[in-house]
Amino acid sequence: MPDNWSFVAAAYGLAAIVLALYWRFLVRREKELDDAGVVRQELRQASSESEPHAAGRGQLP
Amino acid sequence: MRRLLGGLTLAGLVAGLVMAFGVAPREATQGNVQRIMYLHVPSVWVAYLAFGVVLVASVVYLVRRAEAADRLAHASAEVGVLFTGITIATGSIWGKPTWGTWWTWDARLTTVSILFVMYLGYLLLRGMIEDRERGARFAAVLGIVAAFNIPLVHFSVLWWRTLHQPPSLMKPGSAAMPDVIKYALFVNSAAFTLLYVYFLTRRARVLRLEAEADA
Repeated sequence: MPDNWSFVAAAYGLAAIVLALYWRFLVRREKELDDAGVVRQELRQASSESEPHAAGRGQLP
Repeated sequence: MRRLLGGLTLAGLVAGLVMAFGVAPREATQGNVQRIMYLHVPSVWVAYLAFGVVLVASVVYLVRRAEAADRLAHASAEVGVLFTGITIATGSIWGKPTWGTWWTWDARLTTVSILFVMYLGYLLLRGMIEDRERGARFAAVLGIVAAFNIPLVHFSVLWWRTLHQPPSLMKPGSAAMPDVIKYALFVNSAAFTLLYVYFLTRRARVLRLEAEADA
């Protein structure tokens, strides 16, 4: 039986492409969410720092 | 820890390729096209494992309502669908030169297609229901029901007369193949298992971050 190397290359090539694309999707999505998490944390920190100040101002005569 | 797992996975995959192309011999009947087996069989093994994890995590979710179990089931189902897709595609590519056709509706190919569609439906179901808790509950039930298809897929080649060859591994009696082929298959299966764990942990983390962002 002939070796049919083209079929072997197609099978391994296809699997490599699919797995690499899925890996890239996971890495990118994780980075997006990590970055968004950092921004959310910074916003929360900024708002918690400004809140007592604003409340204090509200009590001024 | 994740870097270590990633490094181990990469090393395992390279070792698997060396075993498949450098160590394992050319098969006498099929020729070199048989080397697709070192990709096809580990893929279906990982699909079985992934759907088995979906089953266990779904039961845990229904009993304890633990969100981590739901995320694990979701992540495992997605990775399982990915590997089932690879199994079907590589099987079809292997089938053309050996059987003379890309596809035939024999018992193994039909049952594995049903498995693929069921878990694809599982992922669609999760995306369709807006109420997260309700979606998780329905998905858990489907995750348990769909798992009954796994033994049907695996033993279909023994229970019915099919074009597909009998199972290479996990069958009654010892595997009728030379040791070097068994080792190559084992190394590739181990590498794919590591790849599954790597993907699973990353996907589960992404799901957790998404849930935190939505909260």
